[in-house]
Amino acid sequence: MSFTSKLSLKKGLTRSLLLATALCAVTPAVSFAETILNVAQRDDPQNLDPIDTFRLSWGSIGSNVFEGLVFRGEDLELAPGLATGWEFLDDETRIRFTLREGVTFHNGEPFNADAVKYTFDRLLGEQGEQGPQRSNYTSIKEVVVVDPFTVDFLMERPDPVLITKLAGYGAMIVPPKYIEEVGEEAFDMKPVGTGPFMVDAYTPTVNVELTKNDAYWNGDAQVDGVNIRFIAEDATRMAELLSGGVDIALNIPTPSVDTVRESDRVDLVAVDGPTVVITRFNTAKGITADPRVRKAITMAIDTNAIIEAILGGLASPISSAQGTKSFGNDATLTPYAYDPEGAKALLKEAGIAPGTEISLDFSGNDDTFREVAQVIAAYLDMVGLKLNVTPHERSVYTNDIIANGKTGEMYHFGWGGWTFDFDNTAYLLYRSGERFNPYIEDSELDALLDKQRATYDTDVRRQALQDVAGYAYDTALDLPLYNLSTLYGVSTSVKGFVPAPDDRARYMSVTVEE
Amino acid sequence: MSDMNNTSNQTWTHKVMASRYFCFEFIAGSLLTGTLVLVVLLSGVLFPDGGGKVNLVARLTEPFQSAEFFLGTDPLGRDILERIVHGGRVSLVVGLLSALGAVVLGTVIGLFAGYYRGFLDAFIMRFADIQLALPFILLAITVIAIVGPGIDRIIVLMIVSQWVQYARLVRGSVLSLREREFVQAARSYGLSDVKIIFRHILPNALGPLIILLTLNVANNILLESSLTFLGLGADPQTPTWGGMLSEGRSYIQTAWWVTVFPGIAIMLTVLGLNLLGDWLRDELDPLGKTRA
Amino acid sequence: MPILRFLIQRLLQAVLVTIAVTLFVAFAIRLTGDPAIMMTAQSSSVTEADLDRIREALGLNQSFIKQYFDFVRNILSGDLGESFFRGSVRDLIALALPSTLLLAVASMVVSIALSIPLGIYAAVHKGGAADQIIRVLSLVGLSFPNFWLGIMLVLMFSITFPILPASGFSSWQSILLPATTIGIILTATNVRLVRTQMLETLSSQYVMVARAKGLSEKTVIYKHALRNAAISIVTFLGLQFGNLIGGLVIIELVFNWPGMGTLSIEAIAQRDYPLLQATVSILAIMIVAVNLAVDLVYGLIDPRIRVA
Repeated sequence: MSFTSKLSLKKGLTRSLLLATALCAVTPAVSFAETILNVAQRDDPQNLDPIDTFRLSWGSIGSNVFEGLVFRGEDLELAPGLATGWEFLDDETRIRFTLREGVTFHNGEPFNADAVKYTFDRLLGEQGEQGPQRSNYTSIKEVVVVDPFTVDFLMERPDPVLITKLAGYGAMIVPPKYIEEVGEEAFDMKPVGTGPFMVDAYTPTVNVELTKNDAYWNGDAQVDGVNIRFIAEDATRMAELLSGGVDIALNIPTPSVDTVRESDRVDLVAVDGPTVVITRFNTAKGITADPRVRKAITMAIDTNAIIEAILGGLASPISSAQGTKSFGNDATLTPYAYDPEGAKALLKEAGIAPGTEISLDFSGNDDTFREVAQVIAAYLDMVGLKLNVTPHERSVYTNDIIANGKTGEMYHFGWGGWTFDFDNTAYLLYRSGERFNPYIEDSELDALLDKQRATYDTDVRRQALQDVAGYAYDTALDLPLYNLSTLYGVSTSVKGFVPAPDDRARYMSVTVEE
Repeated sequence: MSDMNNTSNQTWTHKVMASRYFCFEFIAGSLLTGTLVLVVLLSGVLFPDGGGKVNLVARLTEPFQSAEFFLGTDPLGRDILERIVHGGRVSLVVGLLSALGAVVLGTVIGLFAGYYRGFLDAFIMRFADIQLALPFILLAITVIAIVGPGIDRIIVLMIVSQWVQYARLVRGSVLSLREREFVQAARSYGLSDVKIIFRHILPNALGPLIILLTLNVANNILLESSLTFLGLGADPQTPTWGGMLSEGRSYIQTAWWVTVFPGIAIMLTVLGLNLLGDWLRDELDPLGKTRA
Repeated sequence: MPILRFLIQRLLQAVLVTIAVTLFVAFAIRLTGDPAIMMTAQSSSVTEADLDRIREALGLNQSFIKQYFDFVRNILSGDLGESFFRGSVRDLIALALPSTLLLAVASMVVSIALSIPLGIYAAVHKGGAADQIIRVLSLVGLSFPNFWLGIMLVLMFSITFPILPASGFSSWQSILLPATTIGIILTATNVRLVRTQMLETLSSQYVMVARAKGLSEKTVIYKHALRNAAISIVTFLGLQFGNLIGGLVIIELVFNWPGMGTLSIEAIAQRDYPLLQATVSILAIMIVAVNLAVDLVYGLIDPRIRVA
């Protein structure tokens, strides 16, 4: 929308009180000759405070506003962020960070060791306890200020993924004075960070408006502002993208891929993403307690055909619950080949009568998996298993059906560990007693998983994680389906957009042609 | 002689023309509804395979290209014609059962509440107010979150939340009817309340009721699609028209036929039911007030 | 003062209904699942102790009665409390409620503007070509699922002919597509209702008497017939408006309209008890108020009913 129309809109507002109440927050501060990048993403993060959220939808906003001690960009390599370097001391129980000098928060407050200490005290203290991020960082015992630009992290226990985790979400550095001044609630709505964009206005369920941070330490954003709108309905988000209402749309749904591909004014940008989709087996009871049945089901399904037909080729086959970019992925492990005859033979060997009914539970709001589930049913039909697919409301599905082990023989599981470290996924899938692991209790897996968590040695860790993947593969604990690509729809007038595999879109280098 | 012939001819045609069955509403309505019911009854014979076989190679085949997939295929390569025929069964059952259940419950309650007034009336109408105050979709999401999805639950939910509108409508009619002369007269003859309610009041309250009923059957077929839109509908393997519409919405721009044909099926059904409803209303209208 | 008594009686009933509804909502939402788990659903390393701590912070370890009374106190004091996830509930509702009301009113206006003249015209010219066309078109309008019609309109007016915004609420044009979508669907119902009610009253005895008295056809139609038909029409429109306030959920989703429906759906999805309690209760209070108003108007138009 042009600014003139926004101006005339402002005039019209006096006419209707109702309209005014609803609109005032949406209308941005008007200034001329600005370029604004319009973005649509599916979800509203609902809270911009880094420690109050766990959502990927926060990542594509917060990554433009906040920075961590460590930076991880689109190449997924760890690099210095607000810390210029770090070293492990005292037998790896202490990590010393040297901080970048001359950085200020958007409110002018200086970035220094006190801000770092405040950030982690807040995360691990009372305020953090009310949010979901704290549990990711409990390996940190304490942060100690050594001098204004040096801090030490004293570790409670080893945490090999800590450095990666410092590049995201809960570990984003926040300004102590600002929070003390405005209070926690105000910070939720209008937070202040050190990043290339500042939060100008956040209107829940509608949009968040960012303006360029002219004092950014690491270069200048190319656009003057970003207007990120939240559009939950896929068809609507696509309509905005195709009609030119937005320049970039995140979370392109697979059914719309053809539409975006056929459009002249929009390009489809795909990059390997963190999200893997698997169906898990009830290994505790039913016919899937038998590994032969699980293997047979795995062999009965042609995942490549699913990827080509349903996902438009925008996913890769996987052999374990991780993609190729994940730390711990074993490239030598190839997915079970599609072999319906072999599957039938295995089922026969296991004594499963043709026509046996089994069921697959999934979250009903996932349109893509809805299709995939029906294709799986068709494949299983060919080897003599009758699969009933049962959709559930999302939160019932995670809270109750999975967490309390009420699933049928098979159940859908999609997970996108933004750390790209198999530890994140494997631990919650296979470690006994984990919330999303209702059925598997295996001391061998537990030992492997605990071992890799206790060391910083990357080779040991990689081997242990690959062993976990191999073990799950051999015993067919899950049916690995595919690793989804992260899809962006980008208008042809946009240049310089680098797609982020982890959904943490950054808009600093983007330009918009008029 | 010729006069006689003419006269008897005229009488015969006149009889047919004047017959209550010779009108656009009845003919078109019963043709549409009859065909639909027939197709639905014969669905198992026409397409014994059920809801259509997944056939990834043939996905999104365009319509009118082959006899095999006359109306084209959906994103999973299933024959759309076959799914529409089978989907009609569920959609009709949902639409009819829920509307009939609601109308029976609502009418009986509304009749008695309106006729007797007093405590029963107040109690029932306050209960109705509570239900009316709960937004259906939000109620549905909450309830389905607790009891889980399923066609049977959707039907019960619809009845539970829709009887109220019938009750209020009937009660409204009864309130003005019970003061009318013919009801007063019936009462003074000493007719029992039940007789007055069902013989004299109900027939006069039927007109608006039948319109609302026919609208509701159609509406509930659409509501089923809304629930599917929100991910609360029937299981995906059971084809329903609403489900087909909702699942096809992401393909509207690249494959129109996925949603347009089930949409037409719904439209023709609604049209047929409402035409019959109109005709029936005229027939049931005891005073013939609205007849042309 | 029978009117005053009637009024007080209805007000008391409305208060009771409101209490019942809020109790029901507060109770039902607590059956649907644990917000602490939702809050951490994408977090991989959560222990039962973490969950307990979150529950305590959210006040979920208190008894239901205590939680309910806290909620009632919040509503009465006008401060609606804190959402579990996203700050002040009052701020969220202050944004969403006007949007929803605006959309509901605009849709009703579209529908009334179309259906009353069309319905009267069809009734007066019953059986004529115009009547048939209006009836068939209304049937066609009835057969569109709302989300489908919405998406089709967006396709047509935002993509094929890009003249209107596809979604959101950023300018006055934004309301045209959603209000038209709902307006069309409501009109299909209302036209038929207006027509039938008009036909019924037009053939009633006192309209015949009015005609016999030699009053002009215009007077008969507008003063006598319409006034009489208005009882049912107003009842129906009132119920419809009540339904509409709570039934905009899907259209709000399709058009990304920042209203109460969107807010409620998100609150249910996350088990955000304070937010859902507040949105549903406020919607319920408004629906109760509308129904009360319908009752009162009903009583005014037809005094026979007032005397209970």
